[in-house]
Amino acid sequence: MNFFELTYDILPALLKGTVVTLELTACSISLGFVLGIALALGRLYGNRPISAFSSGYIQFFRGTPLLVQLFILYYGLPRYDIRLSSFVAGILGLGLNSAAYQAEYFRGAIQSISRGQMMAARAIGMSRFKTIMNIILPQALRIVIPSWSNELIYTLKYSSVAYMIAAPELMAQGKFIAAENFRYFEVFLVVAFIYLVAVLIVSRALNVVEKRVRIPGLQMAQ
Amino acid sequence: MVTLELTFLLLVVGLAVGILLALGQVYGGKGLVLLSSTYEQIFRSIPALVLLFLFFFGSSFVGLNISAFLSAVLALGFRSSAYQSQIFRGAIQSISQGQMIAARSLGMSKFQAIRHIILPQALRLSLPPWSNEYSSVVKDTSLAYAVGVIELVREGRYIIVRTFEPMIIYITIAVIYFILTYAGNRSLGYLEEKLKIPGFETKSRKE
Amino acid sequence: MVKRKMGLILAVVVFTAVLLGSSVISPAAEKKVYIVASDISWPPFEWKDEAGNYVGFDLDVMREIAKLQGYEIEIVDIAFDSIIPGVVAGKYDIAASGFTITAKREEVIDFSGPYYSSDQAVLIRKDSGLNIGTVFSEGHKLGAQTGTTGADWIKTNLVEKGVKVELKLYETYPLAVLDLINKNIDAVIQDEPASRASAAKEKKRIEITGIIVTGEEFGFLVKDGDPYGLLPKINEGMLKLRASGEWDKLIAKYFGG
Repeated sequence: MNFFELTYDILPALLKGTVVTLELTACSISLGFVLGIALALGRLYGNRPISAFSSGYIQFFRGTPLLVQLFILYYGLPRYDIRLSSFVAGILGLGLNSAAYQAEYFRGAIQSISRGQMMAARAIGMSRFKTIMNIILPQALRIVIPSWSNELIYTLKYSSVAYMIAAPELMAQGKFIAAENFRYFEVFLVVAFIYLVAVLIVSRALNVVEKRVRIPGLQMAQ
Repeated sequence: MVTLELTFLLLVVGLAVGILLALGQVYGGKGLVLLSSTYEQIFRSIPALVLLFLFFFGSSFVGLNISAFLSAVLALGFRSSAYQSQIFRGAIQSISQGQMIAARSLGMSKFQAIRHIILPQALRLSLPPWSNEYSSVVKDTSLAYAVGVIELVREGRYIIVRTFEPMIIYITIAVIYFILTYAGNRSLGYLEEKLKIPGFETKSRKE
Repeated sequence: MVKRKMGLILAVVVFTAVLLGSSVISPAAEKKVYIVASDISWPPFEWKDEAGNYVGFDLDVMREIAKLQGYEIEIVDIAFDSIIPGVVAGKYDIAASGFTITAKREEVIDFSGPYYSSDQAVLIRKDSGLNIGTVFSEGHKLGAQTGTTGADWIKTNLVEKGVKVELKLYETYPLAVLDLINKNIDAVIQDEPASRASAAKEKKRIEITGIIVTGEEFGFLVKDGDPYGLLPKINEGMLKLRASGEWDKLIAKYFGG
C-alpha cells in the first residue's frame, strides 16, 4: 500500500478523531474563557483572599504540566469517589489549564485600558460592576483577541495530550491505527497535516473576527 | 535528572536555532525570510506530541538511528526554536533602526553591528518573554514520556505499577514541576534585574 | 571580559555536545551490545522493582541467554505499541515483552521459537456483580492495552460482530487495571500471567472471572530477516536453559506461588 492509498484508508477514522479533538477544544476553550475572565476580574478587583486565590490558581496551573494535571483528574480523583469520563476529564483539564493562561491575557487587556475610564464611569454614577460589564470588558475583549487566538491554537494542539487518558481524539486514533498497521511515520504525518490545516483555518478565522470587531480610531499602545 | 538535562538541551537548541531564525527573518533576503517563516508556521502548528512521534519514527524511516532521548531533544528543541525566534525577532525589531545605520556609518560591518550593538540589547529585552518560554519547555519535557524517555512522569509510572496509588505520586510530580518552573522564573527575574541598564528603558514589556 | 564570555560559551557548547553524544546509539557496523526493547510495566514479565532495577521473566531469560551465547544486551523501556515499529526501523535489535506470535506480526518481524503459552484472562472488580457470562453484554466498557492480542480479541469477537460494548485502549496495562479499580470500566482483557499478578496484588478489589482459551504462544522477536543472526542464538540459548534446569527455576521464581 503506498502512502496515498494508506491515507485514503485511514482518513475516515482520523477524521472521527478530529471531530472529538474539535469538541474537546471548543468545550475547554469556553470553560477556560468563563473561568479566565472570573480569575482576571478576581485578581484585579477582588478583595485580598479572592485576589490571592486567583494568583495562586494561575501560578499553579501555569507551573505544572497539562499531562500531570490530566492524570490527576482522571486516574487520581476516583480515590475520592469522583469519577469522570475520559472526555469530561479532558475538557476539565484543558479548560482549567487554559483558564490560567486566558486570565493573564484578560488581565493584561483590562490593565491596558486607562484607569480614567473607571473613574469617569463611577463619577457619572455607574456601579463598579456595571462599569466593568459595560465599559471595561467590551474594550478588553477586543484588545485580547490576538493573544486569545494564540491560546485557542495552543488548546487545539494540547488537546492531543488527552490521548494519554484514553480520550478517543485525533492523536489516539492515530495511535490505534499505527498499532495495527505498524506504519507509525506515515500515520503521524497525516495526523500532523490535519492539525496543521486545523490551526491554519482557526487562525485565519480569528483574523477575520478581529478585523470585524475592530473599533476604528481606538488603537491600543502596540 | 533527565527532566533537567532535557530542559537544558531544549533551551540550548531552541536558543541557537531561534536566534538564527530571528536574524534570518529580520536581515535575510526574501528566500531566507520565506524559509524561516514557513519553518516557524509548521513547528508552531503541529502539537508537540505529534512532533515527537514524527521525529522518533521518522528518523528511522529515513535511515537514521537515533535514540528516544535525542529525538525528543530535536523535536521539542526545534519546536521551542520557533517560539524563541518570535521572541528575538520582536526584541530586535524594537531596537531603533538608527542604531544599525549609525554603526554602519562608523565603519562596522553588518555582522559586527548585529553582534556588538543589536544582539546585546535585544537579548536583554527578550528575557521576560523568554522566561515564559522556559516554563513551557520545562513542562513540555513531560511529553517525552510518550516516546519512552525515562523522565519524571515515567519514573512516577514505575511506582504506580507497583503501588496503584496514583494520586500521591502525581501530586508529588506536579509539585516538583512547580518548583522547577518557579525557581527558574525567579532566577531569570533576578538576572533581568542584574542586566538592566539604568536609564535605558525601551517600551516596558513587563506586565 | 570577552575571553571569559567566550570561555562560557565554549563550555556550554562542549557540555551540550557531550550530553548529545552520549545519547546517540552507535551505528550498526560492529554490534557488541544488542538493544532489547521491553514495555517495563507488565509484571511478572517485566517491571521495575523498588531498588530501581528492571526485573521480570522476559528480562532474566534475555540476560541468561546473552551470558550463555556470549553477547551483551542493553534493556530499554518503550511503550508496547511502539516496540514493533522500533524493531522494524532498526532502533532495537530484540524485543522481549510478552509478544504473542501472530501471523500479522510475523509479516513485519521475525519470531523466535515459542517460550510461554498463555490464554487471555478477564479481570473484573469483585463488587461489580459481573461474571464471565454477563460481562460481554451490551453497554459494558472493556479495557485493554493498545496493540495487544487482548485488544484484538475484543475487536474481532465483540465489536466487529455488532455487540455494543465500548472498547477503551490504554497506553500501558497498569493504567487499564487502575481504571478498572477506579470503576471507570467493567473489565480488562489481558494475558493470563499478567492478569494473575495484578489480581494477586489487588486481591481485595479485583479478580479473574474467567479465561478465554486462545492458546497463544509468546516469542521474542527481531527485525525481519534477522540481520544479526540472533534467532538461532536465542533459540539455542533457550534449549540450553531448559537443559540445565535454569528455565524451571525462573518459571518458579516468577510464576510459582
